[in-house]
Amino acid sequence: MTIPALRLGTAWARICGLMDEAAETFVRTSFSSVVRDNWDMAVGLMDSAGRQVAQSSRSVPSFVGTMPRTLAAMLERIPAARLSPGDVLISNDGYLGTGHLNDITMIRPLFRSGRIAAWIGSTFHCTDIGGAPSVEARDSWEEGLTIPVARILRAGEENEDVVAFLEANLRMPEEALGDIRAQFAMYDQAAPRLFRILEEEGIPDLDALAADIFGRSERAMRAAIAAVPDGEVTDEVTADGFDHPVTIRLRLAIQGDSITLDFSGTDPQIARPVNSPLNFSRAYSNYAVKCAFDPATPNNDGSFRPITLIAPEGCIVNPRRPAPVWGRHLTGHYLPMLVLAALGRLIPDRVIAESGSPLWNVYFTGEHADGRRYTRMFFMNGGHGAAASHDGPSCLSFPSNVATQPVEQFENAVPMLITQKSLIPGSGGDGARRGGLGQRLSFEVVGGKPVTATYRHERVQHPPRGLLGGGAGRGGRDLVNGKPVPAKARIVLQPGDVIAFETPGGGGFGDPRERSAEDRARDAAEGYV
Amino acid sequence: MQAPYRIGVDIGGTFTDLVLLDTRDGRLFNGKVLTTPHAPEQAVLDGVRGLLAQHGVAPEDVRHVIHGTTLVANALIERRGVKTGFLTTQGFRDVQEIGTELRHDTYDLFMRRPDPLVPRRLRLEIPERLLPDGGIRTPLDEAAARAAIRALREDGVSAIAVCLLHAFANPAHERRIAELAAEEAPDIALCLSSDLVPEIGEYERGSTTIANAYVLPVFARYLARLEAGLREAGIAGPLFLMLSDGGTVAGAVAARHPIRLVQSGPAGGVQAARVIGAAAGAPDVLCFDMGGTTAKAALIDGGQPQRSLDFEVSRVDRFRKGSGLPLKVPVVEMIEIGAGGGSIARVDALGLVRVGPDSASSDPGPACYGLGGTEPTVTDCDLLLGYLAPGSFLGGAMTLDVAAAETAVHEKLAKPLGLSPVEAAFAVHETVNTAMAQAAAIHALEKARRIEGYTLVPIGGAGPVHAVEVARKLGIARMVVPAGAGVASAFGFLAAPISFSLLRGQVAALATLDLDALRAMLDGMEAEGRALVAQAGVEAAEIRIRAALRYAGQGYQVEADIAELDRTTIRAAFEAEYRRLYGRVESNLPVECVGWRVTVSGPTPNLDLGAVPGGSGNARKGTRQAWFGGRFVEAAVFDRAALAPGEAISGPALIEERESTLVLPPGTTARYDAARNLVVEIG
Repeated sequence: MTIPALRLGTAWARICGLMDEAAETFVRTSFSSVVRDNWDMAVGLMDSAGRQVAQSSRSVPSFVGTMPRTLAAMLERIPAARLSPGDVLISNDGYLGTGHLNDITMIRPLFRSGRIAAWIGSTFHCTDIGGAPSVEARDSWEEGLTIPVARILRAGEENEDVVAFLEANLRMPEEALGDIRAQFAMYDQAAPRLFRILEEEGIPDLDALAADIFGRSERAMRAAIAAVPDGEVTDEVTADGFDHPVTIRLRLAIQGDSITLDFSGTDPQIARPVNSPLNFSRAYSNYAVKCAFDPATPNNDGSFRPITLIAPEGCIVNPRRPAPVWGRHLTGHYLPMLVLAALGRLIPDRVIAESGSPLWNVYFTGEHADGRRYTRMFFMNGGHGAAASHDGPSCLSFPSNVATQPVEQFENAVPMLITQKSLIPGSGGDGARRGGLGQRLSFEVVGGKPVTATYRHERVQHPPRGLLGGGAGRGGRDLVNGKPVPAKARIVLQPGDVIAFETPGGGGFGDPRERSAEDRARDAAEGYV
Repeated sequence: MQAPYRIGVDIGGTFTDLVLLDTRDGRLFNGKVLTTPHAPEQAVLDGVRGLLAQHGVAPEDVRHVIHGTTLVANALIERRGVKTGFLTTQGFRDVQEIGTELRHDTYDLFMRRPDPLVPRRLRLEIPERLLPDGGIRTPLDEAAARAAIRALREDGVSAIAVCLLHAFANPAHERRIAELAAEEAPDIALCLSSDLVPEIGEYERGSTTIANAYVLPVFARYLARLEAGLREAGIAGPLFLMLSDGGTVAGAVAARHPIRLVQSGPAGGVQAARVIGAAAGAPDVLCFDMGGTTAKAALIDGGQPQRSLDFEVSRVDRFRKGSGLPLKVPVVEMIEIGAGGGSIARVDALGLVRVGPDSASSDPGPACYGLGGTEPTVTDCDLLLGYLAPGSFLGGAMTLDVAAAETAVHEKLAKPLGLSPVEAAFAVHETVNTAMAQAAAIHALEKARRIEGYTLVPIGGAGPVHAVEVARKLGIARMVVPAGAGVASAFGFLAAPISFSLLRGQVAALATLDLDALRAMLDGMEAEGRALVAQAGVEAAEIRIRAALRYAGQGYQVEADIAELDRTTIRAAFEAEYRRLYGRVESNLPVECVGWRVTVSGPTPNLDLGAVPGGSGNARKGTRQAWFGGRFVEAAVFDRAALAPGEAISGPALIEERESTLVLPPGTTARYDAARNLVVEIG
């Protein structure tokens, strides 16, 4: 059937709104900081065939379009015919899901008149998943508990065997189960509202609406791609890696109304936890294409149909089991920057230079004076790449979207002081438009006990590149008591020690000789250079 | 006897609205004059003098003037504050530029943040360091502080904001800096974060302190001119100011905390909705305020507007949280839910209708204003649908050009959509209503409220035109439509008690909470609040204590009124509220207190509006074709001013007043009640 444009627009907006409401409910009732502070989660709706119709709008790009693939993999293990109303499927298998074990995906079939009319699901980051994830991990078994595809709810009742496995393997089972149960409640609220919306809009079933949404989104993306002349460009970016650098190679081709991203020739997977499973690589590649061509359309499968992704099995952006994947972002976050850099030669006005990422973070673990143990994570972002139209903002998260936390909060939680949080003058790449500045964060151990710092940072050997003549940003640095230390390490700090992190600056855009005298004067007056 | 007349004045972007209330018989007189942006007090004084003269009221019969204004918000948005300096702890001057590091739009590669109010070179660092518990790690370097103050003075700043790390736990260093500044630069306005926002979070606390300093000199001068002008006009009664949280304070208090007025006008609208809802026996109200450029929504629960401590100004992207400068000030929680009457509609790349966020404003205005606008707006569409009449807009003061509206809708919407102009117009009407309902529903959810049980009170010129459909989409069955929706804010000022809220953030497990220390802290807050309220010449009549609570491990809290300071009462109050919001409680989990709010209020003004006689009852003016259910039907048209109490009207009908039209679709009925409101039942 054809749905009139008016009705489609209204129904689509309401379905997207429903996803955002569901996400909001989860965030507000969540027990974990990573869900509520970083929105490291997504809620998705799929049609009866498992294609994604809508996704909550505020979530990290890691989950763009992954849920349908996870669902398909789940149904290979437990066919749809064996599912009953009230069942909820679960898995955190990184190779089926979003790339690492910390992301748990759950999906519930929604029955109507005895058949599955839709699927609602969600993915969330679970801070601890058991095991011993570390930069030393050589395979994925070391990285924690794998929950195989299973039913965590059977006809609305908790499957106590699955729950028992979780309770036995996780260090903080209350937090994980609190979040899991919050999502059950979220599905319960959302399901009847979905059907009410369809009924009120006079749409017989979700599939009819989905077909129209996919069609329009696909046409919008194809039209945007077709507006760019055909062309093929190649580019490569080199990551610092562990024992040796790792190069990711891309051939990007625009032909008519479709685009191909071919990662053939990329370096092989390594036995360190930076391999980026295909779903994760695809999410970040698709994210970049969407940002450049059609940022406004709400996420759904239709937008991504014009994108062909080629990534040979066994390379670092499509590793084989059991390659370790805990820090998959250390590879995956390079992909959007690589895609945009390649696109920059075709559509320079629609892209940005490279940013000071993959995301920087650090885990501090230790004991309070009274013996309580703590683990505290701290995120810090580098400078943003410059654009044709303006300088890159300083310290802005990209491509992931993760906030920092207040210094005062941090200092109230752990026996450390942050003694500096400053922009690094001169760290932004020069150019007609300057890259954003990185920042320096210094942490001093002030308690009487040692603190272990675990971190893995990129862009130390290979700083963010500029675009179209723009200069590179300054590379990052890690320092203990003023002396450089390795960028991927676990270090025990003694009382009085200071560990400092300097995030990379963003790349510049365009020839530095074209930077206006006015901009240069302002940079000097404000101390940005 | 007290002077009988009270005046409410709201300065808006285009008009300054005035309401004069005769407390003896409840009669209300409205006035509207053009705002005078360069000397806003001029419009206020002209308006007040005009209104008094028109109704033969002697200035000495004015008890007081209650005032709200967009001046503070506009000074921040348009960057018309003073040159301001910032002093902070060594190592942290860039916190104000780095912000949260979060993208407010994940997919916009070109997103930008607002520029900081204080540029980097005027943000200076002082050697000193406090610990999280308020202990001193590094004493204040007084010589360095003096040097910094002098440097800022020489640079020509008119105000200085001070925000030191952990100053909310120990204000000693900030206060010492204030003393040094009084010596070094006595003529420079100085604001301390520990005075303004004693809360954890250096970025938001500093941002708020800077914003306060930035507008303080401007606002203080304005207030002095206004007070002098009122005295000259013979008004001896005091001037009160409406705060963003709906409280009212004496001018002197407002002059020290101008940032608390950042949303004072809209807060008045919410106060009006509260009173209107209460008069109709509806304690739970959704205030729906749709004007020319925006639509806003606010929730009122049990007669109390929802309040929040998070506000943003100067948003780069109007509808995106996180795209502005954060302000930690108590505000009536209002969210922008969509477009206004002047918002422009278009067909996007997906072939779907999109409305706003850009607006045709008043120049050139909607196409139907006939001032040269060619883009179709919501108002143009409402006109084509027959909801507005060309001849009775603004009481007939402005004739609307139907042909111009039709051309704009035809060219820009109907043709690309393959629809007739009226169908396209309806698509816009529907799209706007859906977006607003959606945003309001999400807002209610964020506040953990079930919107279906609320009564909708529409205000603003476009509110009553769209209200029924918005209510339907929200599942709301009842609506109360006040008279004079266009001056609702000024009226609302008269409805608010003198009141001031104090807040303290303090995280503690309920099980180990030191109740004696808590009681001492709350007593101190209450004493401070009583003193501020006393400055307005009234006695505190109500003390309200609310706690922000959550389960240990959660990050979002639920606010609950606390009647008794004991653990059982506190837990019960929390769980009652939590169950209401999320449908369940976790009875085996520990509870945490996160913060406390003490509100000290004077007596609530008695607004007895029942005594005024209604109209003749001969209100029916005729009929007009209006679009309902996919076709034009004949709808009865009424003059609201002529309605008689008790009169009932069934849809399809259009009930017109000077500033707005209530659209009643088929299946709805409106009854004119004794308080002069139209109570609408939505079938």
